[in-house]
Amino acid sequence: MFARIVWLVLRKDFTVEVRSLEIAYTTLFFAISCVLVFAFALVQEGRTPEGGAAGILWIAIAFSGTLALGRTFERERQSETLRALLLAPAARPAVYLGKLLGIVGLLLAAEMLLVPLVTLLFQAPLLEHPTWLAVILVAGTIGFAAVGTLFAAMLVRVRSRDVLLPVLLYPITVPVIIAGVRATAALLEPQLDTGIIWFWLALLACFDVVFVTLALWTFEPLMTD
Amino acid sequence: MTFLRTCLVVLLLIPAVLDVPARAQQPPPQQQDEFIPIEKLPPQDQLPAAPLLVAAYAFVALALFAYVVSVARRLGNVQQELNRLESELKRSGRT
Amino acid sequence: MPKWFTPAVVICGLMFAVAPVLIAEAPYESTMGLVQKIFYVHLPSAWMFLLAAITCGVASVRYLFGGNPRHDRIAWSAAELAVLFGAITLVTGPLWARKAWGTWWQWDVRLTSSLMGWMVAVAYLLLRKYGGPGSDKLAAGLALFGMANVPFVYISVNFWRTIHPTTNVVPTLPTSFGVPLWFSAVTFLLLFVLLLRMRIRLEEQRSRLDALYLAMDEHR
Repeated sequence: MFARIVWLVLRKDFTVEVRSLEIAYTTLFFAISCVLVFAFALVQEGRTPEGGAAGILWIAIAFSGTLALGRTFERERQSETLRALLLAPAARPAVYLGKLLGIVGLLLAAEMLLVPLVTLLFQAPLLEHPTWLAVILVAGTIGFAAVGTLFAAMLVRVRSRDVLLPVLLYPITVPVIIAGVRATAALLEPQLDTGIIWFWLALLACFDVVFVTLALWTFEPLMTD
Repeated sequence: MTFLRTCLVVLLLIPAVLDVPARAQQPPPQQQDEFIPIEKLPPQDQLPAAPLLVAAYAFVALALFAYVVSVARRLGNVQQELNRLESELKRSGRT
Repeated sequence: MPKWFTPAVVICGLMFAVAPVLIAEAPYESTMGLVQKIFYVHLPSAWMFLLAAITCGVASVRYLFGGNPRHDRIAWSAAELAVLFGAITLVTGPLWARKAWGTWWQWDVRLTSSLMGWMVAVAYLLLRKYGGPGSDKLAAGLALFGMANVPFVYISVNFWRTIHPTTNVVPTLPTSFGVPLWFSAVTFLLLFVLLLRMRIRLEEQRSRLDALYLAMDEHR
């Protein structure tokens, strides 16, 4: 029953999105613009600063993610569907999980575009170890999205939600950013040190577990109003 | 209101009294051994410590004082509003 | 205000008056000299910042799952004190560091973690102020997440630094500078309790005001 609700919410979001692809296109294009801004800001004489690629990738993910979160819940707010979701006889945590998976999917799609772009623009051999990169990106995205989905849902009825979302989200997701960047940077080293990557992955995994659990636990009291 | 006035008067003494360490300081010893974090950082012998110390204590006093004043002012406003409402309620509401 | 408040204020004021004398007479620390005396306000402020953050976190959890408005008042007041004492810590720290380490800021694990915790406290206040109705529960959720985040921030910042070629080790704080430190700490603790009580009173009065407005509307 729980899994069915998660699947239904996910399918609903996917169906609505596929019709217009509004959030997908705008988020992807924003991600590209973001990376280009970084390129113009940081590239000197055709070369990037040392180890800049990993940071730029994750900043682009964080910014695009914030945008996507805002837009997703704005759409829910405008159609009053969030209230309908909450009124439905469905376990609230299941609704949260469905929304979370939708956001993670969207962000992973953006990352599939971002990684080749960053590789190209910054001459960073990101695609040399694709499985490692994929695991790092998935772990980090889940962590970021877990906190982000909860905060965005919570802020839906709040006045200054557009600016408050980043203000609330970034301090809490600092460990995700640090771990993601450090792990990705370790991938870019000429000598692959798997010890470091395992460490950061372990941190990300713990973060994901703790914060998804916390979000599931607090979604009910936070959305009751 | 008297407790608020007491707070303000007593805590107003703090900035005056905290000037004591600034005035009573002795000159630092000549060849002061700097805490050198790593070999590469040059020793900063010439940097006088007194302005930093005074700045730190002054900031602490200022911050605490400003906060107390802020809370006292907000409390005063709310209290005033409460009194006004209560008298208005007594006059008109109890019909 | 409760009966103990005014005498406590007097005692606190007296302690603040006595503290500088004790601090001035404390022995010089051998490597840092005069500037080390900032430590006597820096360390107690850091402790009060931590205490305020924990108070806010615990009260927030109780409010989120219990709904008692008293816990919400405590949480909000504690968050303000966390911002206050956090700001004091984050200003006095670099002032001390400028002389002791040679630079204003190092990506020291304690400094950075404190800065992130302070940012969460500021975010809490922004949410309460600009969030409109319903922001009490949301802020409680934020405080809960902030508290849960502390070990992650600490670990990630710690290893973010050390794997990178670092420049610094945290100077070991002197373990016993005895009387002036503990006196200063107790003074700050008393001040913390007084400020908290005062701030909670503000919230209590605000609640009474809201209740009165509601009563007035009903009478009309």
